[in-house]
Amino acid sequence: MSQLSRRQMLFGSYLGLGGLALSDMLRAAGTPLSARPNHLPAKAKHCIFLFMEGGVSQMDLFEHKPELIRLAGQRMPQASNTTGEIATFSAAPNRLVPPVAPLRQHGQSGRWITDLMPHLASVADELAFVHGVKVDNNNHGPAVYHSLTGNQFPGSASIGAWVTYGLGTENQDLPGFIVLGDPRGSTIGGAGVWGNGFLPAAYQGTLFRNGDTPIVDLNRTKQMTADAQRHELDLLQWMNRSHSAARSDNSELEARIASYELAFRMQSKAPELVDLGGETEATRKLYGLDDKDSEAFGRQCLLARRMVERGVRHVMVLHGAGGDRWDDHGDVKTRIPKHCREVDKPIAGLLKDLKSRGLLDETLVVWASEMGRTPFDNNLISDKPGRDHNQYGLVVWMAGGDVKRGATFGETDDFSVRSSGDPIPLRDVHATLLQLLGLDQERLNFLHAGRYKKLTDIGGRVIREIIA
Amino acid sequence: MRTALFTSLLAIALNAAPVDFTKEIAPILARSCAACHAGKLQNSDFSVENAAAVMRGGKRHGKAVIGGHPEQSPLMKMVRGDLSPKMPMGGALAKTDIDKLEAWIRSLPSEGAAKKMEWRWPFEKPVKPAVPEVKNASWARNPIDAFVLSRLESSQLRPAPEADRRTLARRVYFDLIGLPPSPEEMRSFLADNAVDAYARLIDRLLADPRYGERWGRHWLDLARYGETSGLEGDGAIGNAWRYRDWVIEAMNQDMPYDRFVMAQLAGADEHSKTRNNYQPDIQGHIPLGFLRVAPWDRSNLVAGEVRQNYLSEVTTTVGSVFLGLSVGCARCHDHKYDPIPQRDYYRLQAFFQAIQVENADVPYKDPDFKKRADAAIRDLQAKLRDGAERVELNKIEADALKRLIAARKEGSKGKEITKDDLRLEMKRGEKSFFTSAERRRHADLLEDANRTQDPEEKSAIDAYEAAHLPRLKAHYAPGIDAAARFDSLGVEEARAELGRGSSKIFSAAERDRFAQLNEHMDVLRRRLGRWQTNALTVKNVPGPPAGPDIAPTRILIRGDYRQPGEAVEPGFLTCFTGKAEPVEIEQDRYRQYPTRGYRITLARWIASADNPLTARVMVNRIWQQHFGRGIVATASDFGVNGERPTHPELLDWLAHRFVEEKWSIKAMHRLLLTSATYRQSAENPAAQAAQSDPENKLLWKAARRRLEAEEIRDSVLAVSGRLNPERFGPSVFPPLPADLADFARYGRGGGAMWEPNEKEEDARRRSVYIFHRRSLPLPMMAAFDAPVFSESCERRSVTTTPLQALSMMNGYLIQDEAAQLAKRVEAAAGANREAQIEAAFAHALQRKPTQAEREKLTGVALDAICRILFNTNEFLYVD
Repeated sequence: MSQLSRRQMLFGSYLGLGGLALSDMLRAAGTPLSARPNHLPAKAKHCIFLFMEGGVSQMDLFEHKPELIRLAGQRMPQASNTTGEIATFSAAPNRLVPPVAPLRQHGQSGRWITDLMPHLASVADELAFVHGVKVDNNNHGPAVYHSLTGNQFPGSASIGAWVTYGLGTENQDLPGFIVLGDPRGSTIGGAGVWGNGFLPAAYQGTLFRNGDTPIVDLNRTKQMTADAQRHELDLLQWMNRSHSAARSDNSELEARIASYELAFRMQSKAPELVDLGGETEATRKLYGLDDKDSEAFGRQCLLARRMVERGVRHVMVLHGAGGDRWDDHGDVKTRIPKHCREVDKPIAGLLKDLKSRGLLDETLVVWASEMGRTPFDNNLISDKPGRDHNQYGLVVWMAGGDVKRGATFGETDDFSVRSSGDPIPLRDVHATLLQLLGLDQERLNFLHAGRYKKLTDIGGRVIREIIA
Repeated sequence: MRTALFTSLLAIALNAAPVDFTKEIAPILARSCAACHAGKLQNSDFSVENAAAVMRGGKRHGKAVIGGHPEQSPLMKMVRGDLSPKMPMGGALAKTDIDKLEAWIRSLPSEGAAKKMEWRWPFEKPVKPAVPEVKNASWARNPIDAFVLSRLESSQLRPAPEADRRTLARRVYFDLIGLPPSPEEMRSFLADNAVDAYARLIDRLLADPRYGERWGRHWLDLARYGETSGLEGDGAIGNAWRYRDWVIEAMNQDMPYDRFVMAQLAGADEHSKTRNNYQPDIQGHIPLGFLRVAPWDRSNLVAGEVRQNYLSEVTTTVGSVFLGLSVGCARCHDHKYDPIPQRDYYRLQAFFQAIQVENADVPYKDPDFKKRADAAIRDLQAKLRDGAERVELNKIEADALKRLIAARKEGSKGKEITKDDLRLEMKRGEKSFFTSAERRRHADLLEDANRTQDPEEKSAIDAYEAAHLPRLKAHYAPGIDAAARFDSLGVEEARAELGRGSSKIFSAAERDRFAQLNEHMDVLRRRLGRWQTNALTVKNVPGPPAGPDIAPTRILIRGDYRQPGEAVEPGFLTCFTGKAEPVEIEQDRYRQYPTRGYRITLARWIASADNPLTARVMVNRIWQQHFGRGIVATASDFGVNGERPTHPELLDWLAHRFVEEKWSIKAMHRLLLTSATYRQSAENPAAQAAQSDPENKLLWKAARRRLEAEEIRDSVLAVSGRLNPERFGPSVFPPLPADLADFARYGRGGGAMWEPNEKEEDARRRSVYIFHRRSLPLPMMAAFDAPVFSESCERRSVTTTPLQALSMMNGYLIQDEAAQLAKRVEAAAGANREAQIEAAFAHALQRKPTQAEREKLTGVALDAICRILFNTNEFLYVD
């Protein structure tokens, strides 16, 4: 089979379109999800993207700002009042709110971490931080889309879709891009933020659900046994093969025949994946499964490890839903400690577990939210202060792969409002993520609506400062 | 003519007279820069020795000069001090020198300008080409075939033989109505030996109302039709389905495409030439849903940003859908590939600046539909007023209030009198201890404090309450039935208590039942809302003196709404017209409605036979659906980056024909489907074509295609005999896997994202009627490449994944409908296994089983046979 017709087979008639990027033309043979070599050398082969929905308070978690403590309760000094550019939800707030708990320095790197995250603090030196990242919009919907698809408007491809489009996946018995939702509810945008956007549908994220049917329609109906289904499948494939044999240019038909075999195997592989029965008590504890607060997210993190262990390319783990998002407009004093209790042990457990299994080297772990928060209260009359949105103050950390352990890049001003140096647009973070997975942001493109679309849109700067 | 146009375009593009580098620029650079940037000493590898070196720049900033863009050129930034260090080091250039440098850079052609100049064909009005002569003239059935055959012959290729009639019938059924023929329909077509049997079949299918449901769906893809915001909460944006129904009906009526375009851009935007005080037809608001069905960030607080995002979305979509141009690329900068300057983007956007995003009450036009809607509304109102659930809810609430009052009275014993008690006493009306003036004052202060959240208002109410509290305490002291204050508790307090998870008064079971009933009432209310006549549309701003005038349109620097630049007037794209002047907006004689007429001015330009792209773009879209690939394969991008047309003359000929046939889409179908080109088999025995043209660009055979997501679901239901043919109306909610709907809630307290249907059979309507929730597509549809409905989709991708196989093997649709098909087959064929198999094949594949198939399947259960048939490639593909 010629290279070209083989290529046609891969994507079916979609590639009948010309005008595709050279990277597509040279794509290695296989199915759309076959593993492909990366563009650049990189240790990380998988990505676990931990997304804290709602807008994380950077000064409560990772940014030590003595001015906030000194001037607590006072109005923000006029000179540093940059809030005019932030579209806040409240009229004219500005009373500074000190961190809800003390922050302390940890590890060799002297990384500031809140006392509310003692477990994460114990792995402080694994992390590399970027402070003062700017997001395109100050409202959740567009900001979540921006964080997860690189574009604040719906319709673009999710990071995981880009990564699997670029690299394929190693285990064909499981989806290449899996989404672990917060069991309490959906994130903003729902399927839109793990969708394939303009990329072919093969790259869309597969939502894993709780319970023993992780994938929609994975399980056979009650009346159907594996043997009976196998028998039906054999008859089906017999019919399909004779149909295919009578036709030329039948590679797409053959691919569909193969997809049924994959699906059949997936029916046994996916339940095995989500069955945590084989995990030791120690592991379960490590992820906080023994604690009511951290159990749910701990389970998601443990599943994420089991997925990368089995060669899943990209896992997106979502935390926060509805009233339990990190959108702390009020009562930060009770809400932030609660969020921290939910994620601290699971995240630290994930990093430790990956490391002890030798997986951290080949797994890029990214922790992000869609925006940061303001140093001041957004309520006028309240004994339970809250913080408003701040699109200039996003903090992101990465770990694993070629990430430079203990590194920090960027710094916000004395009030954690915005980068005190050059602005750091979110696309820089995306460019760095791709680079750490061995993907060149320029070569990872797709012609759509007259443009070669990229995750980083006009191109971001790879933040070399956090790469080893 | 052509040369003149070209020259004027060139002048626009270059934008200024050329500046002589040697005479004007080199002396400045030699004087001020050469000391460090020439000869041996080329600091930062930057040299000013010649123009090329200057443009190339140094190692610090790369290219020093961006042609046409002084503001982006590092050279200008450095001499101005915008980029540190300011140059020349320690000094500064004279302003006249800086101006000269700027003029020089501005005069340089921007990158790709030359390329843009060459790309003319889409902007030249098509000239009707002569139909080419071909050798094998007898093969050609109509002029299309001459164009196609002429190219095949010049490539030494032969067309495929004609497809057999069964294949052909399946192909036209799916292509036109998106459903397979029934066994009877197939039989009668195969038995019809008349010469015009095939032509009559096409006519019949074009007249079938299911045609609009199929072709309306294609348009909805382009119109990025969705029914929810797509963003925070993903709530419904309004009754978008009115637009969907309009599209389906327009397709069925074969509304001429020019009118179809006009309606969607300029409905209710016309003036009367003769009548004073003319008001456009209110029905014109329905097709304007096109301008509303995109994602919509309604929770964003920055009005300017929301507005700009809206206008950008509309401008971009109009450009790609009607003109086949990626106009949207020019939002932030001049288009990198096509001759569309940023200025033109905003001139186009200016036509939409009069829009006021607002819904309208548009009565139902069709009397039968109105009856249906009225009946539904009456029914829902009755249920909301005195349905069993409402009655139960009333009883629960009344009972709850009694218990709440009793509990509060009981609980208050021995407790200190507080502000809360004061508020209750204030609410007691005539029975209150406080005078009516005091009560009114209190209510006002409380309302102000709650509404404004202002500290001063808050202290006012605090002070007022603090002053009155001692009087109340004193009053309550001697033998007064102070507990009577709780009688002022109302049903709202009872409801709040019933909704409180921590309530000590009501049991969990009571609270659950209350929540369940409320949820039920909410479903009814939402249902009612969907039937009401409020339609998603746009209006124009009132204009002075009635209200605000149209805001000026400004070029936004880098597309950023916070960086407005020069103001522009509405104007058509210069790459078409060669003219950069503003256009004249249609006005009424008396200038009574100064904001009306902008959109219609644009619409008339687009929906015109003189517009070089409109007809080409649409015929190409129709062609793409029938032949699997457009003559221009990038159907929404006729620009430089798009694909070159495979048959440019044919495209132009079709565009002419389209206009000659009064923009009739159905006439175009007839023409395409009766061509010999379309009637080819998907198999061509002459194998050399596969070598020289593996992508079948030259059309030497028919393109096999997989059914689209909607076709698959609809066909399964049609074959099982359970497709509900009901048309139009509010969208329906086929069941989702149980936990998925629950998960999709926007958080625990969030509203339901998916709803029960009014009637069970609603779940089996055609897929075009499924509620389009952007965050929650049906998993099966998403797996089979249904678009994301967020951006205009000009072509579906076709992928093959195991998730598709899972949904077809285990999903409820196939499971249920296979069982139904088995019943249907049994009812028709009786207990005879042979006959059963034959009937099942006739329904699913419209053919008889082969001997081998009969033998293999004889021992298999009928349910299983039906499942297998639904899963076959033969079912999922059309040859």
